[in-house]
Amino acid sequence: TLCFQAFLQMCNLPIQVVCRANAEYMSPSGKVPFIHVGNQVVSELGPIVQFVKAKGHSLSDGLDEVQKAEMKAYMELVNNMLLTAELYLQWCDDVTVEEITHPRYGSPYPWPLNRILSYQKQWEVRRKMKAIGWAGKTLEQVLEDVDQCCQALSQRLGTQPYFFNKQPTELDALVFGHLFTILTTQLTTDELSEKVKNYSNLTAFCRRIEQQYFEGHDKDNCATATARSAKKSLLR
Amino acid sequence: MAASMELSCWGGDWGLPSLHPESLTVMAYAKFSGAPLTVNTISNSWRAPKGDVPVLISEDIVISQPAKILNFLRKQKYNADYELSAKQGADTLAYIALLEEKLLPALASIEKHLIMLHTFWVEAENYCSVTKPWFASRIAFPLRLYLPGKMSREALNRILLTRGGPPLCSLTEVEAQIYRDAKECLNLLSKRLGTSQFFFGHTPTTLDAFVFGFLAPVYKVCFPRVQLQEHLKQLPNLCRFCDDILTCYFRLTVSGHSPAGQDTADANLQKLTQLVNKESNLIEKMDDNLRKSPQHPPRKLTTLKLAAGGEENSPSHRLSP
Repeated sequence: TLCFQAFLQMCNLPIQVVCRANAEYMSPSGKVPFIHVGNQVVSELGPIVQFVKAKGHSLSDGLDEVQKAEMKAYMELVNNMLLTAELYLQWCDDVTVEEITHPRYGSPYPWPLNRILSYQKQWEVRRKMKAIGWAGKTLEQVLEDVDQCCQALSQRLGTQPYFFNKQPTELDALVFGHLFTILTTQLTTDELSEKVKNYSNLTAFCRRIEQQYFEGHDKDNCATATARSAKKSLLR
Repeated sequence: MAASMELSCWGGDWGLPSLHPESLTVMAYAKFSGAPLTVNTISNSWRAPKGDVPVLISEDIVISQPAKILNFLRKQKYNADYELSAKQGADTLAYIALLEEKLLPALASIEKHLIMLHTFWVEAENYCSVTKPWFASRIAFPLRLYLPGKMSREALNRILLTRGGPPLCSLTEVEAQIYRDAKECLNLLSKRLGTSQFFFGHTPTTLDAFVFGFLAPVYKVCFPRVQLQEHLKQLPNLCRFCDDILTCYFRLTVSGHSPAGQDTADANLQKLTQLVNKESNLIEKMDDNLRKSPQHPPRKLTTLKLAAGGEENSPSHRLSP
């Protein structure tokens, strides 16, 4: 969710975040989050970026063709590794599933609906993991993949403020969203966030974006309110 | 350290050492890094451990999956990325992710055609010899019919589960999206390559091995009509990239025959492609019903030959290599 908020805020587009339990069903692609603008509903980062671009806002206009290719490649890497790792941890690691995911996912619903919906989601995610070959991975292997991805991101970022130097792009929004979530979500183990913390330029990057784009919006922001209860701010 | 290393992978044709993208990637990397591999091409996947290809065997160690094999080779000091900077190493990882996400699904969905076409080509060479039964081929029956089905079922499964959610509901819509993504990926690669010889300058690296592995089959295989191939041929720098690697590292001319034999090879290729076009429906039917085989051309030819008596037999001449 944070990727999108970050992206939209980087484009200077004011948004109102609303939390709904049935969000997944309202979305045209079944995936959250999505944006609701006038009569249109758009979900997923790719289409949202294009939608926003069509309205005249874009973050990557200043990039040349090769840089755009690079940006897309890195976005795939993040999706491939970080997103899948997050899903794996949430739905395929038994301890996390039992203690955190099932309660959280099913919380808006009464028993037994909460268990049923949450098991259904788990089954779907596990099936997808199997199709992409992640079902056979151990937690250690997943953590190694995350580390490899963070190393690549850290090397690419170097000492620059953003991935493409002075201006933030979709890639910055995407990376921020994932890394911030990893760093602040409480899980049964700290191993995942420790992997990210190993790279100081990445944590500095997250802090910088949090300060620049999210300070001062806290009061109206439902997402950060949830964040306060379940997560911790990086600045504390 | 000089332990012998043996690589098992799918065989090749149409001038390629292998038709399988992952096998090609490993073979290319081995050439780039100077790793001495004995290559075993197999068309019978049950001999390979776990049925996975490519597989590297070194003494007692068995390794599958290209990324792991490449890691192993690097640990044995066969490193094609030695001169890359940290940032270039990071770029490599990112571009490989792009290839796997955007190009691989399209390859998987034409994989079925690829395997059918390959085995058909092999059979066509045997047409003249009446004594060879239809099913005597490089791949043992019934694995030959089972395996293409199995591989494409897995590929299809992967595609449907990762891409097939709403709003794309039908297989045609999913396929259309996959091809759009694949074409975009090809465009991105072409832009990134530009006029350089390889992706990171003058020496080929891991990324070059992966790109070559994924692109070469699409480029070289004589599909009857595949949009992705047509799109690729409109990106001359990528085609040049594949040809360069084939001539420099695999010492093969464009068609895999000696230059003198190239014309004959091309002519045969054309005739066989026409035949494939005509017979492609039959191949589809073969999948469900083995009994259609007796009606197939080899028998027809024999009948014609006998009926024609002493006349010149153009159909069988047409098919002779």
